[in-house]
Order: sequence, then structure tokens, then C-alpha cells
Amino acid sequence: MSARRKSVADNELLIVRTFNAPPSVVFALWSSAEHMKRWMGPKDFTCPEATIDFRVGGRYRAMIRSAQHGDNWFSGVYREIVPDKRLVFTYTWENEGPSAGLEMLVTITFEARDGRTLQTFRQAPFSNAERRDSHVGGWMQAFDKQAAYAESIAKEQAA
Amino acid sequence: MPDLLSATFSALADPTRRAILARLAHGAATVNELAEPFEISLPAVSRHLKVLEGAGLISRGREAQWRPCKLEPERLKAVDDWLSVYRRFWEQSFDKMAAYLEELSEGEANERPKKKRR
Repeated sequence: MSARRKSVADNELLIVRTFNAPPSVVFALWSSAEHMKRWMGPKDFTCPEATIDFRVGGRYRAMIRSAQHGDNWFSGVYREIVPDKRLVFTYTWENEGPSAGLEMLVTITFEARDGRTLQTFRQAPFSNAERRDSHVGGWMQAFDKQAAYAESIAKEQAA
Repeated sequence: MPDLLSATFSALADPTRRAILARLAHGAATVNELAEPFEISLPAVSRHLKVLEGAGLISRGREAQWRPCKLEPERLKAVDDWLSVYRRFWEQSFDKMAAYLEELSEGEANERPKKKRR
């Protein structure tokens, strides 16, 4: 048996969430533009535009909108599609901003749990999957610690 | 030239460089001091420092001989801010996803589902 430890989880942004629906439905929320428009984007954002060419190598492009932040386009390419189980795609913001043009990789797995779905979402700021897979070590842990250090130092310097 | 955020992530994606940053969080240090805990050559440490400096994560003093290295916390803060923005982005999206799923299942209970998978 393989260990339950998520080996790359600490390299990345990791969000685990259980949804009250079977994996086929949760998966469809990612694979269909009509579904995606209904939920994509943070609170106070709508997603008025989404096009999806759902096949490996196919592109998607979508826009989220808010009164405060305007229209924000993002797009990417599907790298892996295992229906109802696993989805991997690239993700790039097209607008100006700190993340503009930085290609990220999103990996999502879906697991059935008593009629519900455990969705494991990962996002890594790597330029490609090969680079991501070659990396070891814990970014998130490093960030947590270093951000704390950084803040205490910034405070010291300000004092 | 790649953008600064990419350079920062790239610089952080190495355990030796993160260890160097952790050491510098306790105060400025020379290349020799930084090299001590590692089983790598001074030139190798210098290369790591160059990457960290290029990413804005450290700065180095002007004194030609010892050029002490110093952590630049602003850059790490930027990385942390960047990640927390994404965490919020997705967590709020998933809240909406859960609400939408609820809507869908209510719809399904009331009317026949339009698309059945099998």
C-alpha cells in the first residue's frame, strides 16, 4: 500500500474540499463552459465568458468580472483528462498584474466518498509540468516560515 | 528577462537556497559563513547567492572583500501575498461551486435530469 501522504502537496497551493455530489457531476462543473460560468471566480465576481475545448491539448479561455476589478481574462491548455477522476491544465492570467503571463499548472483529483466527492486542488506557479515534477522540498512550509520571519524582520527594521 | 515573480519562485525552488534564506533571516552573513553548513563549494554557494540576488530575495553589501548578504523580506512578503490571493480566489470559487451544486440537485429532484451519463 502506498502511504496516504500527499507527496507534492507542500510544494503548492493545496485546497481539499468535499462536495455534496458524485464525482461525475463535480467533474462536469470543470469540463463544461455553461457550468463553469455559474461558479468560477471569487465572491463578488461573475464569469460571463467561458469557452472550453475539452480535450488534451485543447484550450479554454474565460473572463471573470467585478465592479471593482473589471474584466480579467485567463486561459490555458488541458494537459491530462481522466473523466470523473483527474484533470490537469495550465493557467495563465492575460491581464496586467503581478501574475500576468506566469504559467501555472492546476491539478485536480476527484474521489468518490459515500456519494460525495473529495476534490483535491493543487496549483503550482511553475512554467511547466516537467519543472514542477523535478522540484523537491516544501514551498508552502518554507513560505509560511519565511513570511513570518520576513514580517518580524520588517517590523524590526521599521522600529 | 523573465518577470520578477517567476524569478522569485524559481529561486525559492531549491532547498539549499531556502536554507540560505532561513539563515539570513537571523541576520546578515558572509559567503563563508553561509557556506559552512553545506557540503558544497564556495563557488556553488556564490552561484546560489547570485540567483537569490537576481530574484530580489537578498542584497549584498558594497565592501569588495566580504560583501555581507542580507535578506530582503519585501520579496518574500510579495510571494506570500501572491499565494494568499490565490487561496482566497479558489476557496471563494469553491463556495460558489458548492452552492451551484445544491441548485443543480434541487433542479434534478424537481425535473428529469437533462444529461444522464449512463
